[in-house]
Amino acid sequence: MSEVQEIKLDRMRYTKNTTSSRLALLAIVFDVLFFISIYKSNVGTWYYNILMGASIIYNLVFMLAAFLSSESVKSYKAEYSYVMIILGVLQIVRIWIYPMSAHAAVVNNEPVMGTAQFIRVIIYLVLSAACLFAGAVINLNKSRALASRIASLEAGKA
Amino acid sequence: MAQLSLQHIEKIYDNNVQAVYDFNLDVKDGELIVLVGPSGCGKSTTLRMVAGLEDISRGNLFLDGKDITQTPPKDRDMAMVFQNYALYGHMTIYENMAFSLTLRKEDPNVIHKKVLAAAEILGLTSQLNKKPAQLSGGQRQRVAMGRSIVRNPKVFLFDEPLSNLDAKLRGATRREILLLHKRLQATMLYVTHDQTEALTLADRIVCMSMGHVQQVGTPLELYDKPNNVFVASFIGLPPMNFFDVRVAEGRLEGTGFSVELDAAQKALLAPYGGKEITLGVRPEDIDEGGTIPVDVTNNENLGMNTLVHGYVGGNRSVRISAKLRGWANHKAGDATMMRFKRMHFFDKTTSNAIRKEDN
Repeated sequence: MSEVQEIKLDRMRYTKNTTSSRLALLAIVFDVLFFISIYKSNVGTWYYNILMGASIIYNLVFMLAAFLSSESVKSYKAEYSYVMIILGVLQIVRIWIYPMSAHAAVVNNEPVMGTAQFIRVIIYLVLSAACLFAGAVINLNKSRALASRIASLEAGKA
Repeated sequence: MAQLSLQHIEKIYDNNVQAVYDFNLDVKDGELIVLVGPSGCGKSTTLRMVAGLEDISRGNLFLDGKDITQTPPKDRDMAMVFQNYALYGHMTIYENMAFSLTLRKEDPNVIHKKVLAAAEILGLTSQLNKKPAQLSGGQRQRVAMGRSIVRNPKVFLFDEPLSNLDAKLRGATRREILLLHKRLQATMLYVTHDQTEALTLADRIVCMSMGHVQQVGTPLELYDKPNNVFVASFIGLPPMNFFDVRVAEGRLEGTGFSVELDAAQKALLAPYGGKEITLGVRPEDIDEGGTIPVDVTNNENLGMNTLVHGYVGGNRSVRISAKLRGWANHKAGDATMMRFKRMHFFDKTTSNAIRKEDN
């Protein structure tokens, strides 16, 4: 390992994993854009069912979990990478819940979700998931590298 | 490192209050200069002018021969350590120390090396992931110093860095600063009102009062050969005793006591024959046994020394403090005789020292 790489690795002992943390926050931003786009639509009574309530609650849970992950990956906690991966997968799964069904539904001869809005909300969900996956992978790599660095330093001390 | 030159520096505030008068000083490369004086004497103002935090009203400031009087603080290549540490509470120690370099957009790897090196010097390596609130006052002050060290500035400026620490910690941190100076061989300007810090740290001391420089010299020079009554009274603990005396034939006559002069002293004081002068005697230059009658008022045993306070010659307005070796057991009301082992003479009109070179 070159000296530069070694210093870069050593820096992680004292610096935060801001990349993963910021990616998790960005995922929240895309999720917010997603639900703002969904909830602002005037679609009569189509939305007002149990799924809507669940969607609102899930958004709250998502934001809380993503924020906690953002704070935890800052200090290289590897287990929160898995939380982020699960959240990312759920963001992808959500494409088939609201956007797909709303795009297919018609109220008063009007589609509940037009194609433009449909594409936009799918992009938001995909970007949100992508941020979570990227943040999780970066954190996993960094936390493993840091753990092995600390182990080698401790072995050196011993 | 760097040479600093302050030439005819003056500070006049907008309300016409003058804080510093004609300050002249040449600081050599690697020298530790301590500015000492009571509150309001202009020492911190002078330091802030050097740092660029205050405008210089008159005079010039040179760093390595270059006039930096009008140079903004960020371009002066000086680092300042403040009394209140000025650390960022939400950042870790590592981040605090790296902050100034991060702002300059230096290579993170270079920053890392510098921070680790500074932490090693200051014994902070194990604290780097902590927040300032988790550290003691002494450790926080070390972090503040570390933040200066990483910048590798030409001049270090310290503004009463130990004033927030308790007495024990102050002593320990003072020794650390001295070791740091020896290790870095850096040019340092240090402001304090504590004469102990000044005497123990300084290569040279600048003693100030009311905005005027009273004396510049080594700690020993200021202690041994004070230029005037102010320096004599400010340097030394307990402070010097002062007596109004008249120069008589071969002796000094005070209220209720007289002191014989030796040949050199007679020659020195010959021009003052019949006149009043101020006699200064350090408490540690007073010993028991002699011709000066002292009525003891209180006795402070300090272990290896005893401070005896009283008044001379039955006159309650002429106070005296003597620092006697060993353990003395005087009681209030005791009468004892003392002698002066060493004396300083001051002109009563000018307050200046009467010394051989003055004649």
